[in-house]
Amino acid sequence: MRKLIILSFLVCTFSYAQNKQVLYDFSSLPQTLILNPGAEVNHKIHVGMPLLSQLSFQAGFTGFSVYDIFADDGIDINDKIRNAVNNYGTSEFMALNQQLEVLNIGFRLKNNSFLSFGYYQEFDFIAKFPRDIVDLFYEGNTEINRHYSINKLAARAELFGVLHVGLSKKINKKLQVGGRVKLYSSVFNANSRLNTGSFSTSEGDDNIYTQHLDNVNFLMQTSGVFIDEEEDVDGKYVKNKLLFGGNLGLGFDAGFTYHPKKQWTVTGSILDVGFVNYSKNVESYRVKGDYEIEGFQLNFDPNNPQDYWNDLKDEFDDSIVLDTLYKSYIALRPIKLNGSISYSYGQKYDDCRFLIDPNTYLNKVGFQFYSNVSAVHSYIAATLFYERRLGKHLQTKITYTADPYSFSNIGVGLSTQLGIFNTYFVADNLLSLNNLYDAKSASFQLGVNFIVKHKN
Amino acid sequence: MNPNKIILTLLVLVLSLQSCTKDVDFDQIDDASIHTTYIATLIHLNLNVPNFLNELNEEITFSQDLIQAPVPTETRSYLEKIEFTVLTNNTFERNFTLDVVFYNDNNQPIYVLQPQIFIPENSSEVTTILEIPEEDIAVIYDTAYFGFTLVLSQSTDGSVLSVNGTSTLEIQSFFKLFFNYKNI
Repeated sequence: MRKLIILSFLVCTFSYAQNKQVLYDFSSLPQTLILNPGAEVNHKIHVGMPLLSQLSFQAGFTGFSVYDIFADDGIDINDKIRNAVNNYGTSEFMALNQQLEVLNIGFRLKNNSFLSFGYYQEFDFIAKFPRDIVDLFYEGNTEINRHYSINKLAARAELFGVLHVGLSKKINKKLQVGGRVKLYSSVFNANSRLNTGSFSTSEGDDNIYTQHLDNVNFLMQTSGVFIDEEEDVDGKYVKNKLLFGGNLGLGFDAGFTYHPKKQWTVTGSILDVGFVNYSKNVESYRVKGDYEIEGFQLNFDPNNPQDYWNDLKDEFDDSIVLDTLYKSYIALRPIKLNGSISYSYGQKYDDCRFLIDPNTYLNKVGFQFYSNVSAVHSYIAATLFYERRLGKHLQTKITYTADPYSFSNIGVGLSTQLGIFNTYFVADNLLSLNNLYDAKSASFQLGVNFIVKHKN
Repeated sequence: MNPNKIILTLLVLVLSLQSCTKDVDFDQIDDASIHTTYIATLIHLNLNVPNFLNELNEEITFSQDLIQAPVPTETRSYLEKIEFTVLTNNTFERNFTLDVVFYNDNNQPIYVLQPQIFIPENSSEVTTILEIPEEDIAVIYDTAYFGFTLVLSQSTDGSVLSVNGTSTLEIQSFFKLFFNYKNI
């Protein structure tokens, strides 16, 4: 069991959530339309292999790696734990994201716009742990006058399905824009954010120490977590909730591709601007108040015996109020921003016709930007990339990414096209391949598509 | 050489020359232990002469008080030691003693905290530290009440407390819980 926990933790320390820097704008893959609905795709029709067109798994923990703790290096594990705690930042976060594309279909309309639609399932988890909580657990509270704060404590976990339809339209030779509408159906959601409060010990007036809970305001909202006993939670239940029997929400994506000059390309997208309205199986908890205690004041008065413990408990319950709420709530989706600027060069030489293809470049270099904005945690990442076409059937992309986890994240993407059969695989943090246990950041996406291109 | 072949060769080399993991030893978790100490404020009192006199202004030499304190059992596997720190100020011309006795649900005494707290006459800022060692720690989980017994010593010269006296006895305290999280 313990090893299972360690293994689970290990899985959670491999990678990085949400940023698909290798897949973004890569090889005109159908999946690039999910990351930028205004992406240029040069094919006529695509059909993703059902359930296999994109499997994506990403997770991460910024605090420390498995290798930091469990390296077989002769150093006492307690020294390594101490070192990891000492290097812990003001707050660190753990993230896990998994996506399974069930359906992805797209085709070109008569007006040359490209319509795409599909459905995917997503599980998303992120939790942010302030250092104060770690110190409180690791060292205790013997540091007088220190405020152990929960201000940065936040978390979100959700499982949902997304039905989407998008259109990518060429406005002119230079500009392509696109949009995508999404309908979310949530199985469950739990979130806690914008919490405040601190615990501290100070020198007291009537006793040696006074202990304080100040400005406590903690809220955890849940939907679909606490379920009526008569409801069976099985595969059928989850399927029903994923397929629009759950809490529903609406969102949209927007994006563009712009060529200021022939070889220069600027792209941008904003994803998941939307919300889910949680009204089913809602059970939320709020803890609010202030409290101060100097201990039990004994009076040694047999004529007036006191119930010290219950008096204190009543006083605490009056001061720190725990409410259970059943009111529906709206949760905003975390917004993702993507942007890139790239330069293409090296025109393709057609060996058969002894001609240079004026519209196809073999190489592309550029810079990408990614930002995730949410109430739980926001972060940015920057990527340099080089993309190259290798022969008729293979396209590659190499990325270097700097993000909150690492400044040495190298990623690679491969996409092959044999007839209409397309496969792709992208992964990042290749430098950690020599020791996966030491990885704080890695991810992979892979999939199979059938892509029908234009006849030349 | 064709640049495509160079890129492919480099890619294959990079990927094939990597080993996937370095040695780790998950069994080290057996040796892991985290020592954590929490402090919590405890009892305090400020008693004057009238507290030691009855309705007839006769001395009460023996006073008792009780605190009900359900101790959560979740920490049982990790709690190693409890240390009590008691600070006293006594302006009485008398010595006091304070005994702390643990009682179970049946009001039976099951443990006496050692040593007895001795509060000398006319003494200030006297600190006494008491502890429940690891071998006795289980008793805390069987405790339902903590009993405090305060005893006023007889005067050596036969004098008695005056109702108009201004002497005070102050006791302040806190305790430390020493945890050792191991075999997680």
